[in-house]
Amino acid sequence: MSFDYHEPTSVREAVELATRFGGDGRFLAGGTDLLIQMRRGQLAPRHVLSLHRVPGLDAIEADHAITLGALVTHRRLERVPQFRGPLQALIEGAEVVGGHQIRNVATVGGNIVNASPAADVVPVLLTLDAEVICLGPDGERSWPLEAFASAPGVTARQPHDLVTRVRFPRPDPHSATAFLKAGRRRAMEISLVCVAVRLTLDADRERCLDARIALGAVAPTTLRAHAAERSLQGRPVTDEALHGAGRVAAGECRPITDVRASARYRALLAATLVERALARCVTRIRQAA
Amino acid sequence: MSGATRVVGRSLPRMDAPGKVTGTAIYAADFALPGMLHGKVLRSREPHARLLRIDVSRAAGLPGVRAVITAADVADVRYGGSVKDEEVFARERIRFAGQPLAAVAATSPEAAAAALAAIEIVVEPLPAILDVAAALAPGAPLVHEGWADYVALPILHRERNVCNRARIVVGDVERGFVESDRVFEHRFTTRSVHQGYTEPRAAVAHWDSAGHVSVWSNTQLPFEIQGTLSEILQVPSSGVRVIVPGVGGGFGGKLRVGVEHFAALLARKTGRAVKVMTTSEEELTAAYARQPAIVELRTGVTRDGRILAREGRLWFDTGAFAGSGPGVASVATLMLAGPYRIPNLLLEGYAVYTNKTNFGSFRAPSGPQANFAVESQTDIIADALGLDPLEFRLRNIVREGEEGPTGQVLTAVGLEECLRKAAAAIGWAERRPAPGRGKGIACGWWTTTGGSSGVYVKINPDGTVALNTGAAEIGTAALTGAAQVLAEDLGVELADIHVVSADTLSTPFDFGAQGSRTAFAVGNACRAAAADLTRQVLTLAARHLGVEESALQMQGGVVTAGEGRRATLAELARLSQASGGGLIAHGTFVAPPTPYDTKRVEGHVYPAFHSPSFHAHAVDLSVDAVTGEVSVHRYVVAQDVGFAMNPTYIEGQIEGGVAQGLGQALSEEILYEDGRVLNANLTDYKMPTAVDVPRVESILVQHPSLVGPFGAKGVGEPPNIEPPAAVANAVASATGVRITDLPITAEKIALARPERPA
Amino acid sequence: MAPVPVRLTINGQAHDVVVEPRRTLLEVLRTDLGLTGTKENCLEAECGVCTVLLDDLAVNACIVLAVQCRGRAVVTIEGLAAGDDLHPLQRAFIDHGAVQCGYCIPGMILAAKAYLDESVEPDEAGVRQALAGNLCRCTGYQKIVEAVLSAARARPAGAAAGPP
Repeated sequence: MSFDYHEPTSVREAVELATRFGGDGRFLAGGTDLLIQMRRGQLAPRHVLSLHRVPGLDAIEADHAITLGALVTHRRLERVPQFRGPLQALIEGAEVVGGHQIRNVATVGGNIVNASPAADVVPVLLTLDAEVICLGPDGERSWPLEAFASAPGVTARQPHDLVTRVRFPRPDPHSATAFLKAGRRRAMEISLVCVAVRLTLDADRERCLDARIALGAVAPTTLRAHAAERSLQGRPVTDEALHGAGRVAAGECRPITDVRASARYRALLAATLVERALARCVTRIRQAA
Repeated sequence: MSGATRVVGRSLPRMDAPGKVTGTAIYAADFALPGMLHGKVLRSREPHARLLRIDVSRAAGLPGVRAVITAADVADVRYGGSVKDEEVFARERIRFAGQPLAAVAATSPEAAAAALAAIEIVVEPLPAILDVAAALAPGAPLVHEGWADYVALPILHRERNVCNRARIVVGDVERGFVESDRVFEHRFTTRSVHQGYTEPRAAVAHWDSAGHVSVWSNTQLPFEIQGTLSEILQVPSSGVRVIVPGVGGGFGGKLRVGVEHFAALLARKTGRAVKVMTTSEEELTAAYARQPAIVELRTGVTRDGRILAREGRLWFDTGAFAGSGPGVASVATLMLAGPYRIPNLLLEGYAVYTNKTNFGSFRAPSGPQANFAVESQTDIIADALGLDPLEFRLRNIVREGEEGPTGQVLTAVGLEECLRKAAAAIGWAERRPAPGRGKGIACGWWTTTGGSSGVYVKINPDGTVALNTGAAEIGTAALTGAAQVLAEDLGVELADIHVVSADTLSTPFDFGAQGSRTAFAVGNACRAAAADLTRQVLTLAARHLGVEESALQMQGGVVTAGEGRRATLAELARLSQASGGGLIAHGTFVAPPTPYDTKRVEGHVYPAFHSPSFHAHAVDLSVDAVTGEVSVHRYVVAQDVGFAMNPTYIEGQIEGGVAQGLGQALSEEILYEDGRVLNANLTDYKMPTAVDVPRVESILVQHPSLVGPFGAKGVGEPPNIEPPAAVANAVASATGVRITDLPITAEKIALARPERPA
Repeated sequence: MAPVPVRLTINGQAHDVVVEPRRTLLEVLRTDLGLTGTKENCLEAECGVCTVLLDDLAVNACIVLAVQCRGRAVVTIEGLAAGDDLHPLQRAFIDHGAVQCGYCIPGMILAAKAYLDESVEPDEAGVRQALAGNLCRCTGYQKIVEAVLSAARARPAGAAAGPP
């Protein structure tokens, strides 16, 4: 691999360089995807634009909405004390990525742009109705996260777009999130299946007002299980309802058989993990009372 | 055998630890010489093909490239331990995806990689023999059309794609089955697993002006590599020097030639030092991983649980070259008998050629595969007879003085103690403590490989001791153990011993760090040297002090004669240097052959286990009711080590061997499709991490060997043997599901269960 | 693509090198600076033998570009001992039999150091989690975990600096 290296010192300069180099340029954040793909010969950008000197991209803000800067590392995400309540799944998703060495440098923005269907934090953000905000030469654009990735490694951004942040609304009352992952080992694992769930119950904590279910590694992109979500809306969150939602979600998946697992096992995992994640949310909501 | 000992038997810190924790210890992967070039190897993508043309002209002209070599640059020589069927580069026929075709030396690794990409290959693909079944099918194409003309060990039974069939016959199995009340028949399969050492194979080679080559390598067998290089380079072995600076793990994967020959050939061609290192991809596609195996086991028992007969066959996919296959197939037959008293046996081990990498020796070769089958079936039989699996084993295990499967007399048999202690520690009385939770046990035996070891021991002028050994320290702390033996016998401290090792030019011959033999053999060689050295010291001291030798005592670095007359070792060493050439002794050891009944074996390269060890593993685990994921709560090992030379490092072998064994049991496999590896990277070849491995409790049982130093037996390989069977038995206990194919993944367990009602 | 000058601060000492941007920190440490204590293996951030501390955080040097390290503090295994005095973790690894072949050990010690430096109450689960990115094939991790916990217990109260 051979390239010219650039270190922009502002967001504007970063966008200018990206616009100039177009498809010949790639942004470098944590490097845990880009540099490995370059070494394997899967990518060979002529220009690498390192972002680590660009200020203002690593803020975590919580006001009427919650904003995560694109360069927020998984390590920082794991350690946000305010996420320990209804946003627990953000921590749960972040803390299972790779090992410490990876989490110390791998960024939320980089993870979103890499668009692996097996990403761990992306499903959580999907359940939070997150939007991705980019800055391009013509100004800012945003997409719902669900519309951002269209295929493995393919997103709506153009080469000149710099992902600056991800934003999602504050969770509603009587809400909880949960994240579960299945793998052949307990760390350093690309998910066989991962599931993120957000559940909002009524004031009596009996009936589902709203549900979001997202699954990883069961489709070309991270998948929202819309039918499973609808199956819960307005219904009491009984064991039967959760079990049913799990089965509906598994039916919405399009898992493949690969070196990691068979499609059949992935479907079984999807149903089970959705059910268990939903049950965990119910417990969390009721325990918070 | 031993009373209280002073040095040996204590958990002393290993001698090489300071260099390792400070990063100053040099491994072969770290080794460099001035002006060194970087070598890389071009490997085939086809599993089976005719090599029609190879054009290196464009590659040779690229910037930084100093040499490109192919078969045309190498003597037309076939080498190999049991069958001489291997070649450095494919000449006309490619036999596995990953087979070397060419090698490049360049001024940087990037330039070498660019040169590889510029080499033009024209091949004609041939139908590939993808597995043992294909290789044995009637009319199957031959992996080696010239197999009959190869030089091979005369004892081997070779036929077409079978490069050995080893056999043990005892009594009359058919009659045994007729006399049995029940006969059980099962089939088991295992996949290939990689040793997973964290240091890639590496070598640096440099030729001097006299036409001699020095090779720094992380090999486990420097003297074997010296011999192999001599054949390949067509240079007398005295012209080949192999030095081992340091090894980052071997586990058998660094026994045979890896990259040393490429480095030496490139260094000869360029006139410069050349370094070659493997990548993770090369390790997972073209290294000496464990043979995949198929085991068919038929066992006849009486209704009260005595084993009367066993017919067993084990087929190893040995890949494109015989390599270790014939030997592994032999050892397998002893493992198929297990440590059991069985009057009628017909056991066969086959090493079969296929178009895959030539698999090799991995810690207890054949052990996990055979033990998985034997110990799984043992539990199945026990349960079918309504007997406790522990009791069933105790009813049938061999005892002191009884015969092994090839008629050797077994001594120091610590197996019952191991079984009882492991079972007690795991709480065997409560086999199924909760739904989805179960315990399993497995037991086995293993050898302490023979072969000879020599050491030179001298006393330095400051009274410390130099131990010069041809053995390589691969991480087991075997050389620390041997040094403890030496310190014990010389009456000095471990800190007084300095070790020089593994240089074929200046250290004595050693059969190598294999087969759990190093501490055993080097330790005994040290005892021989210590005895000789002590005599030299006392003779000199007697003369020097003017007393009879019988009046002298040697302890703590001092020789005393009573009445205050004394001489330190330092004084005596200086005296000897000045007048007699120094105090130095040569000690050797070779294990005496173990007598066995030659009529019972055929094609057998390994007919008896020397100073056998015995072991029992017990595990307590839970299985997720839906996902099948296994959580290990406790893991216990009781291992008969003969004598614990250094308990801490023996525990280390057990803890590490179990972790590695659990990897094979639960998560590791090299996956093939159409003869190509699908998961040749560490993302998808899943070795256990620190959060995956349970605590392992080690119980060291000591039934002293009659031969080993202070009674020690080999300890390094055994912990790898029983984990797959122990896990399979516990999973069966916990879930009722019996998995007969390794690895026992959550997926296999989950999909083997009946569907949950909606 | 042309080599660029980079000032690296390794173990508190400045090193001026001229390297192509594609060169990783691992390559520069081992090849250009002769600091072979940091090891190489998978080169894909899967095994952890190349772990160093970058501004007190454990990272895989095989996927950090040397040029990214300007103005940042790199600590390698060679920087842990103070002269002849071993770091307590190094001492503990020796004393607990945690070293076998030793190839994973430099990375393992640095990952452990990063964990202990920021953890007020280290425990076994936390240690194992912290070392999950460092593969060891020899030890089964047990004595490594014991060594790290022992070093944690031996340090004075309040020694942990907390997260960087």
